[in-house]
Amino acid sequence: MSVNVNETIHETVGKSVLAEKLGFDYVWVSDVPEQRYAPVVASAIAARTKRIKIGLGLLSPFVHSPLQIAGSVITLVETYGERFELCIGPGDRNQMKRIGINLTHQRGISDDLLAAKNEIEKILRKRRVDCPVWLGAQGPKMLRASRFFAGVLLNYGSSELVKWAVDQVGQVKNRNFKYGIYALSYVYAKHDPKIHKLLKVSCAVVTLGATKTVLEKLSLAEEVAQANKALENGVSLDLIANSIPDRSMESFSIHKRSGELGAYLAELSGLGIEHVVFGYPQNHSKQTIRQLSRALNLKP
Amino acid sequence: MVQLAIGVTSGMRLEHILELSQVAERHDIKRVWIGEDITAPHDVFVSASTILLRFKKLHVGIGVTSPLVRNISTIARAAESLSEIGNYERFTLGLGVGGLQDLQRLGIKVVKPRDALRDATVLLRAMWKGKTLTFNKGNFQLRLYQARYASNREAPIFFGVRGPKLLRLAGEISDGVILSGPKTYVKKAVHLVREAIRESERPARNFKFVLWLPTVLVEKAADLKLVRNTVAYVLADTPRKVLELAGLEYEEVNEIREVYHKHGIVWASKLITPSVLEKVVIQGDQQQIVEEFKTFEKSGINEVVFGPPYGAHPQTAGNELAEFWMRYS
Repeated sequence: MSVNVNETIHETVGKSVLAEKLGFDYVWVSDVPEQRYAPVVASAIAARTKRIKIGLGLLSPFVHSPLQIAGSVITLVETYGERFELCIGPGDRNQMKRIGINLTHQRGISDDLLAAKNEIEKILRKRRVDCPVWLGAQGPKMLRASRFFAGVLLNYGSSELVKWAVDQVGQVKNRNFKYGIYALSYVYAKHDPKIHKLLKVSCAVVTLGATKTVLEKLSLAEEVAQANKALENGVSLDLIANSIPDRSMESFSIHKRSGELGAYLAELSGLGIEHVVFGYPQNHSKQTIRQLSRALNLKP
Repeated sequence: MVQLAIGVTSGMRLEHILELSQVAERHDIKRVWIGEDITAPHDVFVSASTILLRFKKLHVGIGVTSPLVRNISTIARAAESLSEIGNYERFTLGLGVGGLQDLQRLGIKVVKPRDALRDATVLLRAMWKGKTLTFNKGNFQLRLYQARYASNREAPIFFGVRGPKLLRLAGEISDGVILSGPKTYVKKAVHLVREAIRESERPARNFKFVLWLPTVLVEKAADLKLVRNTVAYVLADTPRKVLELAGLEYEEVNEIREVYHKHGIVWASKLITPSVLEKVVIQGDQQQIVEEFKTFEKSGINEVVFGPPYGAHPQTAGNELAEFWMRYS
């Protein structure tokens, strides 16, 4: 599961300790420009846990240099052991704009990411640090580029889109290559409208930052363009979320009753998915985390 | 009374950083400063977090990181995250332009450093207050950016600066200054900063002066070799104005700088004479070092930093010095 770096570090660490106790294999710590600094949060989690692996990312090489990314990993590994995995990617375009990084018309992003990954791996190798580097991908170019990484984390929830994305990756030479998904999530035994709303708004954010190709595939390009304009004009995200069709939520999130989860995961497994990161708002509370662990039938 | 701190750099081996932090905690030394080595593959913020997490009484300062090598939003949220781990009592953020040679190696050109530090400080404080910011000038661009983690609490910001204009800026807006450079420069630097504090909008604030020079515990003559490389590097990077303030003969230092730039650190270090060492390094046995540290109190220094390069065995040197300091105090 992922942790929410918008919460206090104390809360994040508490939920990570719980995740470890419940039997989760990984916690992923996302790096978002408007939230806490993921490598420091990861350090706090690692200091209080023993076994659970810690995924760092998605980190954007457009925000942090390859040396800085590798430096974070090296410092974490040298302090806490080889418990870390790294995911890089361009980052949400709207969030990048807010810190002065414009990816909208930039060409060759996938080439830049590949170059960054190669540089990161070179630095890690020099320090004899073993840390898989994943690519967080959504659009076709990025999916094709992911072949050269240790694995790809797909930013989708619907099995139809996952299948499409896996097909886009194409033939992979690396026999250890892993397919994973990292999606907004709400798996529930008893539906809570408050959590549902959090999921809806978060899906809106992902949709607003999605690539043009994906939006056209989902027939959402026009609505999203209008929504982005409205956002820039100061309309609240809550209002905008209501204007975006429900199919965006179906596409970008795992939104299931507990009893449906098993069949869904079996379907993903059939598509080659080995790694599933249940994102926000599944980490909303210890109760929602426990609901997920029961649905997954995890052994503490 | 002047306080003792221990200095490390992010380029050091992690085990040495933690060993020296343990020395600090064991001897009730209040603070560890971590200087950022921007060419080394270590994250200064993660290093700071490991000390804060492991040693619950230690105060950690970053001395310094440059706002020219990272997005300003990254510095803001890293500092806030560290402040939070330290319960908003144990973390200080040090800002500086950065080593000019290191910046050059990374392809970063330094333009209007005073504006950069001023803007960085103003933006950081605004981000920590949760303000929505749009800014587009010089090194920094933000557009409707709001730090969602903001706690409305400011980490103290110290400047690690040397030239007169930046020293005045430190006095104008920062919470403290980390001084480095020739010993004869220190008193003049303090004077410049104090003038600026008096003229600032907050002249009564609790401003701190920290002194961080190369320090080495000398047990045998060979130990001085440890510090020659450091001195060559520091002198190669020291602005001319600072050398003038220090009253150093430019010619004495210029040859070292030229050889450094042409042939590298090893050859430049061979030109470091005992006379130059005496002017820029705190050296000697425990008593000599402690006595020299204490003399800086008269110049207005509140805190002195021990090391690097420490001595032949950093942890042992740290222990011995700390023990002597406790007895002497």
